[in-house]
Amino acid sequence: MSLSKNASADGKILTIQIRGKFDFNLVQSFRQAYAEVSDQTEKVVVDLRETDYMDSSALGMLLNMKKTLGTSVSSIHISNCRPQLKKILQISRFDKKFDID
Amino acid sequence: MNILVVDDQILNCRLLTTMLEQQFYTVFCAHNGSEALKILALHDIDIVLLDVLMPVMDGFETAPKIKQHAGNVYLPIIFITALEDQSSFEKCLAVGGDDFIHKPFDKVILSAKIKAHARTRRLSQQSNEQKRQLEYHYNQIEREHEIVEHIFSNALAQQTTYPEICEYHLSPASMFNGDMFLMAKSPMGGFYCLLGDFTGHGLAAAVGALPASRIFYTMVQKGMAVSDIAVELNTALNELLPGHMFCAAAIIELSSSGKSISAWIGGLPDLYLIDRNGKLIKTIESQHMALGILDTEEFERNLLHFEVNPEQRLVMATDGIIESESDRGDMYGERRLKRLLASRPVISTEQIISEVREFTGSGEQQDDLSIAIINCVASESVASVPSHYSSLPFNISLSLDAQQMKTTDPVLELVDLLSEVGGISAHRSNIFLLLSEAYNNSLDHGVLGLDSEIKNKEDGFFEYYCLRESVLKELKEALIIISVRYSPEELKLYFSICDSGNGFKAGTRNQVKQEYSHGRGVSLLGEIAQSVSYNSAGNELEMVYSLTSESI
Repeated sequence: MSLSKNASADGKILTIQIRGKFDFNLVQSFRQAYAEVSDQTEKVVVDLRETDYMDSSALGMLLNMKKTLGTSVSSIHISNCRPQLKKILQISRFDKKFDID
Repeated sequence: MNILVVDDQILNCRLLTTMLEQQFYTVFCAHNGSEALKILALHDIDIVLLDVLMPVMDGFETAPKIKQHAGNVYLPIIFITALEDQSSFEKCLAVGGDDFIHKPFDKVILSAKIKAHARTRRLSQQSNEQKRQLEYHYNQIEREHEIVEHIFSNALAQQTTYPEICEYHLSPASMFNGDMFLMAKSPMGGFYCLLGDFTGHGLAAAVGALPASRIFYTMVQKGMAVSDIAVELNTALNELLPGHMFCAAAIIELSSSGKSISAWIGGLPDLYLIDRNGKLIKTIESQHMALGILDTEEFERNLLHFEVNPEQRLVMATDGIIESESDRGDMYGERRLKRLLASRPVISTEQIISEVREFTGSGEQQDDLSIAIINCVASESVASVPSHYSSLPFNISLSLDAQQMKTTDPVLELVDLLSEVGGISAHRSNIFLLLSEAYNNSLDHGVLGLDSEIKNKEDGFFEYYCLRESVLKELKEALIIISVRYSPEELKLYFSICDSGNGFKAGTRNQVKQEYSHGRGVSLLGEIAQSVSYNSAGNELEMVYSLTSESI
């Protein structure tokens, strides 16, 4: 379980990648990751390609991020979800608030 | 040094033999051409002294046969003639004679001529030996190239191609030009490709391709990010390749929706994003140094991200195309390439290659033309192999006390354990969700007595988990029992989670409002599990999960 973040070369996209398990154990580091959004940042990508597990606490953390960032970024993408995680996001109607890829 | 004297006159033979033996040459004698050829076949003769007029086979007839016998190595023939016999000199040269010695024989002249021709013969022998060695090594290398090419083409063989997404051209001998093109799909359905151009040519340029392709395929199989693949390739090539060698590369990931591209590009010419008609939408420049140069600490892993749509195509090529030269020495260049791309709708790589070949004209075939075009379309996920389920029924039961609640992660361990059972691994994300929700519900609300209302406050979410941590630290007496039963006949998992807490009234937590960042758990359980039920006390939860549900 780990979290890493990366800004794109032009600084417009912040990618937060989560490995293994996405749950409340990451509550602090996840909050810190998006606290670094700058004026340049247009888009935040939460990359779940290496995320095996998530539960409702992860959903809560994502919503918190959405609330905190508000309109300071133009979109928040949740990308590269494995099918089961995608279904969890769909069941929770997250596709209405996030761009799920 | 062996000298053959061919003369039908015994006296001449004796005379020459004596003179030559005094100078420590080994001398053989023959009395006509026919005898001479027999001796040549048996002994390694270095110089032939040949009389013109002889019975059986004369000198004119013998000389060409001696030359034929000698093959590529210079075997000097010195004709023995009378000084006045000027008219036959020309004929002697015509049949292959290299020099003359006149009767009566002069010891000094004979010695000088023998030495001069012996020297030439030695040089000829040496060069012939070198030529033979060269041929041997050349053949050896050819053979090794064939073997290596075979190994490489098998190792790099595209196990699967995706013609609807990607079209490419690589020269047949591209391996030895140091060019490679790899593509694969991740388990999430994203399409990945790598266009690489190693410095140099030949075997040296090819060696890096083998580890690079293994790393690429393995990491794509795991669905890793492009930046991680770039880091891994860079580290491997940096360790493997000598200092002056590296690999210019573009690593591209097209998301499974076909809507976005992530790219790491180092040292390659510009990539072009074009529309169906070839109109240029975006030029994408290399951002980084080629792979294999920088140490892992210095390596830059930042990616370029851009959005695309199904009408768009990404064109990438190694420098072979733009550096192709015409007969007049002009380079093909970027401007011609851009014009060519816009010259017709949906241009193919074959059309590009044939245009470039036409430009280079009759000139030397430049065979390192490598180009790929990606159509930015959505792709279907790779179908997962149907699982084979274990037919062994089992029960697992865990009783966790306060100490274990503080120090262990029972949900993850239990999921890992269950994933070992045949067929269950494919469902592990769902099983994790069920157990995690149920366990945390029991722990947070049943055992620790926390109230989710805290989460609704400003920054309450974080506060809640801080509180949870401190309350958990103080916990003395508690019990949570998790039981799992697997029924292979029904292909179902039965879960039961029971806690020592006071329970709650079923239904109170089911009212979910989207604005809250909590309360989603219970409704999620209902969607993922086949059934969910609480006992009347509210401290025991039972769930049934069907392994045949189509949710995977």
